[in-house]
This record gives sequence, C-alpha cells and structure tokens, in this order.
Amino acid sequence: MEDTFIMMNKTIAVIGENLLAKNLVEDLKKNTKGDILFNEFSLLEHADIVIETTNLHVQEKKRKLQEIESIVSSNTCLLTSILQVSATEAASWLHHPERLVGFAAFADFHDNELVEVALPLQAEPHFLQIVNSMFRLLDLETEVVEDEVGLVFPRILSLIINEAAFALTEGTASVHDIDQAMKKGTNYPLGPFEWCEKIGLDDVYAVLQGLYKQFGEERYRPAPLIKKLVYAGWIGGEKDKCFYHYQNRNLKEFSL
Amino acid sequence: MGQIKQIGVIGSGTMGAGIAQLMIQNGYRTIIYDIHHDLLKKAKVTIEAKLNRLVEKKKITNEEKTSAIDLLDITTDLQDFKNCQLVIEAAPEKIEIKRSLFKELEEICSQDAILATNTSSLSITEISGHLSHPERVVGFHFFNPAPLMPLVEVIQGLKTEPETVETLVDFAKGMNKTPVTCKDTPGFIVNRVARPFYNEAIRIMNDQVADVEQIDRIMKRAGKFKMGPFELQDLIGIDVNLATTKSVHASFYGETRFRPHFYQERMVQAGTLGRKSNGGYFHYDE
Repeated sequence: MEDTFIMMNKTIAVIGENLLAKNLVEDLKKNTKGDILFNEFSLLEHADIVIETTNLHVQEKKRKLQEIESIVSSNTCLLTSILQVSATEAASWLHHPERLVGFAAFADFHDNELVEVALPLQAEPHFLQIVNSMFRLLDLETEVVEDEVGLVFPRILSLIINEAAFALTEGTASVHDIDQAMKKGTNYPLGPFEWCEKIGLDDVYAVLQGLYKQFGEERYRPAPLIKKLVYAGWIGGEKDKCFYHYQNRNLKEFSL
Repeated sequence: MGQIKQIGVIGSGTMGAGIAQLMIQNGYRTIIYDIHHDLLKKAKVTIEAKLNRLVEKKKITNEEKTSAIDLLDITTDLQDFKNCQLVIEAAPEKIEIKRSLFKELEEICSQDAILATNTSSLSITEISGHLSHPERVVGFHFFNPAPLMPLVEVIQGLKTEPETVETLVDFAKGMNKTPVTCKDTPGFIVNRVARPFYNEAIRIMNDQVADVEQIDRIMKRAGKFKMGPFELQDLIGIDVNLATTKSVHASFYGETRFRPHFYQERMVQAGTLGRKSNGGYFHYDE
C-alpha cells in the first residue's frame, strides 16, 4: 500500500510512437497524481520511471533506449516493451542493464486484468517491485515469467493471427467467416482479424519477426500478407484500414 | 434440389446423436443409421434423456419434446434413406469407410439429394472423388455439442457445386446456426487456426518460460479467453487434440507450424488424457 502511495506521485515518462504508448499515457494520467511525460526528452532527467514502447523497428528501439540512458541517472528504472526482442537483448544495449524490466502487452492492455513482465538475465530483481506497484495503479496484476520474445499471450495470439493470415492468403475462407468461425466454433472473445484491428498489426508483426529471428525456425515465419499490410500502413489500431479493408478492396473489379 | 423434409444421419456416436437431436428439435423427420442396433437404441435413449433435461430446465415444453421424439427413427438398413433429401454422415474418421458409404448412398438416394459429411479431418474431395455425382457432396462440419455450438463449417470440395453449398448455408441459418463457408483445406478453418493456441502453449511450457497454471491464467486474464489452452485440452481430451494436430500436420505435408510436440505424446502414453481420465495437465477429483 505504501508503495502505491509513493508511486502515485512519481514522475513517469513514456517514450514511443505506437498506440501502446498513447494508451499508457492516457491511463497513467487518469490514475496517478504525478507528472506524466510523453516523448519529452528535455524533461526526462526528472523521471523516476521511463517506459519505452517501440516494437516494430529494433534499431530505433535500441537508439531510444540508449538516448534515455544518456539522460537519466544510472539507477532509474527502465521498463521496456519486449514484443520483438527479449529483455536480455534490450538490456545488453545499456551501460546499466540491471535496472531494465521487460513487459509484453498489446495496446488494449487496459481492457484486461493482467500484464506479463520478465527480468533480463542481467537484472537486479528489486526493480520488479517498482514495476509491480506502477501497474497496480493501473489496476493491473503482474505475472512474472521467464524472459523470451513476446512472453506468453502476445506470442500465442500473434501465431493465431499469423495462421489466420496464411489461411486467408490461400483463399480458405473470407475475413468475416474466419472471425466468425473462431468466435462461434471455439469461443474466442474476438476473431483473429478483429483482434488485429483493435491492437494494431504492427505490434503483431513485431512479435512474429522477433520470434522468427530468435528461434530461426520456419514455424515462426510471418505470413507475407501481414508484411504487405504493415508496409501499406493498413495496421488497424488508430488507422481505419486492416484486413477487412484489404478484402473489400480485393472484391472490386479493376479489370474490364 | 427439393425442399429438405427428411434427413438421414449416419453414425450413432456423439456427433451423430447430437446432429440428429438438432434436426428433430427443428422439426425434421430424421433417421439414424448404424450397423449396430444396440448402439442405435442407446443413441435414442441418450437423445430422449437430453430432451427431458431441456424440459426440466424449461427450455422446451413437454409437447415440443414429444413431437421431436416422434420425428426420430433408427435403422440398420441404409436403403431406408431412399426418401431423404439430405444425408449427414458422421461415421468413424476412416477414409475407406466413408468412401464406401458414399458409394452406397449414391445408389440409394435420389440424384438431387445432398450428401454431406461431418468429417473434421478428411478431405471432402477424397471422400467424393470416385463418385458419379460428386457435385452434391459437401462438408457440413458441426462442433460438439452439436445442438448447442452455433458454428457449422460448410466445406466446398473441388467438385462441389456452389448451389449445394448455398442450400446448406440457408438450411443452417434456418436452424439459427452460424454457417461459414470454406474451401477443402486441411483442418478447414477452426481446427487449423486454433492449432497455435495449443501447440505454442505447450512449446512455451516445455521451454520453461511459464508453467501450465501461469499460461492458463495469462490467456484468461491478459487475453480474455474463456478457457486456458491446458484446461481446454483436458476438456477435449489430450489424445483427441493430439490426433487433430497430427492430422493437420500430415495433411500439410509436415509444415512445421503444425508439428505436434513430444510432450503431448508423453501425456497420451501415460494415459493422462484430461478430464475423462481424471487427470491431464490438471488434477480432477472423481
């Protein structure tokens, strides 16, 4: 409880361009009394906790984490999203890797009750307490699992979406029918394509790409269709285009 | 294709009985065929018991139950299907059995009757490729329990006519089911797209990233799934789930995305199959 009280007045900085970053800022502002900084590097030295959320571009993530480290003190807790890299890899980019904590969540985390966190091999575990009490402010339990790309839920959901994208590519069924089938035939809360529209396909692609690199196995190969939609910017989330738009476009007759 | 009035169901197992119950509840005269008369009688008793439960729970009236039961017949003679406009085959998942059944049906039923298979793992095209009229053969895949689960996959084999698919889509809608149409591909939609839910969970567990309890908790509390991948495998049966994975994997010629995990095989070898064996990934008391 005391932790929560102290946490309430901390300055928390969020660094990231994705929907996950925006939703974190919104939630933190609603639930805490301290200052919430959003992509404000000039004020970063005052931050007690920095949350970094880049998923899609690993080099950009590395650059941002290193820039953050150059500004904050050496024992400031750094919480970073580990959808495409392990916490251990992200920590390896830092001079003080022991204060890094990884978390894996999609942009719709605030609709859920739990968020997964993991420590890099280089970690000092007491930073975990800071992260736990911060998430408690947002009404989220934490579940600590071993460090691996995408942890549990983002990894499993991304692979379901990947399989749905392969099935769609092969013309097995329509976007709508695949969504319906998974909801009505096996009780999924959302269809795989609806889920994408909600959380953003960029982060799903980040998980697949990360797993594919980490394990080097064909099993994790991202469906080419997902890559194309990401290139086109049809990633759902804040954008109104994703798989449903892709399919409707396909139905139009362009040739005479 | 005339109006569907009389339906033949092949097989008196869980799926056959479930489908027959659904049909009579929707007012269709239905005959169940099986080679064993005692199994047929057992299926009839099961269906009556299920309908009685629905009366107790006030989901249907006693009159509705009685008129449904009046619509049900059983037979060990496939010739009794000669006046059926629709046959739904739910025999064991063995290709030779299904192929010879459809050959017989082709001779017994009228040429515009629809011949459907409830297969979950075999190809519609393989079941019907040898027939003179494969255009009226179609996949009609229900989910267990058939009277309750809303989804039906309507599967178009390589030679199935679009009209056959449309007829079954309308027929399913008429029973308040949710039909989806798909091509004749391994695992169709659900059994294919759901593979990673189980396979990746087992991989994560075996790699010691998280344990069984954690993974189920995470999938329910961070992902809103109604059941976790391990409790769901226990409910389905670990052996049944493994068989589905093996079948999809083999049908895709060993595509590694579908590769089963040796841990599932160990569970089956140990006889820990889930709820039905009082233990699987979780323990169950009696």
